[in-house]
Amino acid sequence: MAAHSDSGRTTEQIVSQFLSKALHAILAARIPYIHGPTPPPSRHPRKRDRWFHLALGDPPPALEHPSGLIPNGVMEPLVVDILLSPRDDPTMPEAIVERWVAQCEAPAPWSPLHSPAETSSNSFLVKRTYKKSIILLRSIYSVLRLLPAQRVFKMLCASNQSYNHDLTYRVSSFAEPFSRKEEAEFQYHCFAPVETQSGQLAVSVQYRPSLSQFNLEISSLLPPMLITDYVGSPAADPMRAFPSSPSERAGTRSSTSFPLRGSQHGQPSTSAPASAPVFFNRPHSWTGGPSEVPSNRAQHPNHPPTGSYRKPAFNFDEFKFSPPFYMSPTPSPPKFSGSYMQSPLRSETAPVSIPQPGSSKVKVLRSPNLSDPTRNFLPPPSPRSARTTDPSSQDSDSRSFRRPDGLRTSDGYSNMYGTPKGLKDGRDDSGRFSLSGSPRFTFSRSSSRISVPDDLDDPDFSYPFAVDDVDSSDSQARSNDGKEVSDFGHASSSHKSQDAAVGVLVHMLRTAAPLRDSTYSSQSSKSELQEEGLGSTSSFFMSRKASDALEELQSYKSIKEMLLSQSKGKLH
Amino acid sequence: MNCEVCELKELVVEQFEIREVLRCILHTIIFHRALGLVRPRDINCELFELTYVQCGVPEVEKEIEEKITEFISKISKHPNRRSHQVCLSFYETKDKQPAWFSSKTERVYWERWFINLQITNQRVNMKPNQTKVGFDPGEKLSSLEEKKLHRTALEASIRENLFQIIKFVNEKMDHLPHIPPNAEGISYPYEITILSSSESSLDMLKRMLQTGHQTTLS
Repeated sequence: MAAHSDSGRTTEQIVSQFLSKALHAILAARIPYIHGPTPPPSRHPRKRDRWFHLALGDPPPALEHPSGLIPNGVMEPLVVDILLSPRDDPTMPEAIVERWVAQCEAPAPWSPLHSPAETSSNSFLVKRTYKKSIILLRSIYSVLRLLPAQRVFKMLCASNQSYNHDLTYRVSSFAEPFSRKEEAEFQYHCFAPVETQSGQLAVSVQYRPSLSQFNLEISSLLPPMLITDYVGSPAADPMRAFPSSPSERAGTRSSTSFPLRGSQHGQPSTSAPASAPVFFNRPHSWTGGPSEVPSNRAQHPNHPPTGSYRKPAFNFDEFKFSPPFYMSPTPSPPKFSGSYMQSPLRSETAPVSIPQPGSSKVKVLRSPNLSDPTRNFLPPPSPRSARTTDPSSQDSDSRSFRRPDGLRTSDGYSNMYGTPKGLKDGRDDSGRFSLSGSPRFTFSRSSSRISVPDDLDDPDFSYPFAVDDVDSSDSQARSNDGKEVSDFGHASSSHKSQDAAVGVLVHMLRTAAPLRDSTYSSQSSKSELQEEGLGSTSSFFMSRKASDALEELQSYKSIKEMLLSQSKGKLH
Repeated sequence: MNCEVCELKELVVEQFEIREVLRCILHTIIFHRALGLVRPRDINCELFELTYVQCGVPEVEKEIEEKITEFISKISKHPNRRSHQVCLSFYETKDKQPAWFSSKTERVYWERWFINLQITNQRVNMKPNQTKVGFDPGEKLSSLEEKKLHRTALEASIRENLFQIIKFVNEKMDHLPHIPPNAEGISYPYEITILSSSESSLDMLKRMLQTGHQTTLS
C-alpha cells in the first residue's frame, strides 16, 4: 500500500510518530521519574512536540528514535504492559495492571482503503488521518488520568516515602495472552479506530478496575538492619576505623528495601535476586551509599555484594525496563559526603596540637587524671549528654571523632537530604530512563540541591571541641571528678608527664572554642576561674556543682604547689 | 453542517462542589476540542480522587472560571430551582448577506455539550430541628457516611461523564471543521452559556432550528 505525502507527512510517518508519542504519554503517566529526578524544564515546543499538537516535552532516551520501537514497521503492534512489582519481596510475581495495545491493522480487502485512491483524495485522507490522530492521542492522554493506576503513579511520585511496590513497564511487539482468570479481572476500553491508508489505527487498553488487592503501603524508611559500625553512640568502640576501600563497603552493602528491577536482559546476579538494585546513584543511598562513591559510606552494613550494582544494559529486544531508582523517599547524599566523612577522621587523627613542653603558663582547669593527659583536660561535659564512657578506653582520637548529633545517624542523613520534591527538582534536563549506566545517571546526586549544614562543606572543618566531644569527655570527667580529685592529691607523677599534661591543658584551654550549648551559664564558673586567676572559658564549669568546683580548685592548688616545689628543687 | 449534541448524564452536586465539577468537565471537553498546539496540564481535583487535563491556555482557564462564578451566582438567586444546565458550544463564524440591522457574520454551531447539574442542599438529610449542640453522635456519623457515599457516587458519575466525553469525541470527528494552520491552543471558537432551568436543551434546539441564528440564552 503506497504511502502518499502531504505537506511532508506520510501516513507511515503519522502512524510511526503516533505510536512513539502514545508510548511517551503512557510512560510519562505511569513510570515515576521517567526523565530522572528532575523534570525537564518547560521550554518552547520543539518540532517533536508539534506532532499531533501535543507538547509532551522531551521523551525518554529510548523513545528518541521511534524506529527503534517499531523495527518491523508500523504494522507491528505496540504492546505496553504496566506492571506493579513488589519491592521488598522479589519472590512475589509482578502483576500487569494495564496493557495498552496500539497497532495499525491492515484494512480488509473489501475496504475502500485497500485499493489505492487518487492523489487528491489521498491528501484528504492524510489530513483527516492526522486530525483524528490528534484527537485520539488526546483521548489516550485523558484516559491515562482516569484509570486506577494513575492513583498509584501519583502516590509513588508525590510521596517522599518508599512504597512496597514499584511501577515498571514492558514494551514488546506481542501481547502475552492472559489466562482466563486474569482476563476476568480486567476491564477493557477501546478507542474508536482512525482510518489510515495503511489500515485502521486502533488503540485499546485492558486495566484492572481496582488495585486494592496489592496492598500498596509505605515501606519503612529505615529498613531494619544492624549498623555494626555505628559511631555515634558512646557505647560504640571509638577505635573502630572506617572501612576505607570500596571493596569493603561493597561487601557490606545491602539492597535493603529497595530491590530494583535490575533484570537487565539475561544477566542475573548470582548473589542477588533478579530485582536487585542496579543503579548506583540511588538517591536514598543513606543505607548503602552510591556505588560510584563507595569510599564515602561506612555507616551501613548488610548491603549486597557489588555484583548487585552492576550497570544494566539496555536491550530493546526484551523491552523490559525498570525506571530509574528514584521512587524511594530519601534522597541521595550530597557529593561532599566524602569530605564530611573524612573530617571526623581528620580530626580523629589530629585533634589537638600538643604544645612544646616547658610551657610556663599552666592552666589547669580540669580533673587531673593524668592517665590520659589530653582527654582529661577537655572541658566538662554538657548537661544534655547523658552518656558515660569508660575513660580508660577513650582517647582524644575517639573524642574528636564523634560527629555532631544531627549528622551522626542515618536519620541524620535523611534529614540532611532533600525530599523527593527536591529530588525531582534536581532532575537533569536531559533526564534519562535507559539503564546503560552512563554518567548521566549521576545527576540524582550531583544535581540535587540538598541543604546541608555549611560546616560540612568545609573540608577543613574540624571540631575538636565539638559539643558532643565536649559532652562525652565532660560526662566522663564529671563522673570521675570526685574520685580523681582525691586520687590526684596522692599522685606523684614524673616531671615530664606533669609538664606535658599542663602544657596540653594550657593549649587546649587557650584554643578551645566556646561551647554553643545554651544551657551553660557563665556566671558561677567565671567567678571560680577569676579566683584562680586563670580566666578561661567559663561555660565549661557551669553545670557543675559548687562542691565539685571547689574540689577541683583544691586539686589544682595542690598541683601548682607540687610543680612549684619541683621547679625549685631543680633550680637547686 | 450537522450540529452534534451531547447531553451528559446529570450530576447531583452540592453547592460547594459545583466549581470543581464544572472545571473538570469543561476543561476536559475543551482539551479534546482545542486542537491547536497545547501543552497539557494535569490537574488533581481537590474534592475528588480525579485528575483531569487542561489545555494550558490561560485565557481558557480565565473564561471558564468567570463562567462558573456567573453560574454559581445565578443559581444562588434561585435557590428553589434544583436543575441547572451549562452549555458549551463550538461554532464557526461565517459571512452572510449584509442586511439592515443585522450583523454581517453569523455563528454556525457545529457541536454543543449540555452539562446537567442538580444542586442539592447540604442539610437535605438532616432533621429540621437539629442543631450542633446536643447533636446525636450516631446521627452525625450517619450524616458523615451519607456525605461520603454522596462523594463517592459523585466521583463515579464524574468519571462516567468524562468517559462519555472521550467516547463522543472519538466517535464524532467528521463534523469537525478544518484545523487552522499553525493553530496554537484553541483551534475553534466556543462559548459557554448558562441555561435557565425553565428552558431545557430541547427547547433551545427548537429555537435554534426555528430562528437559524445565534441565540444568546444567558
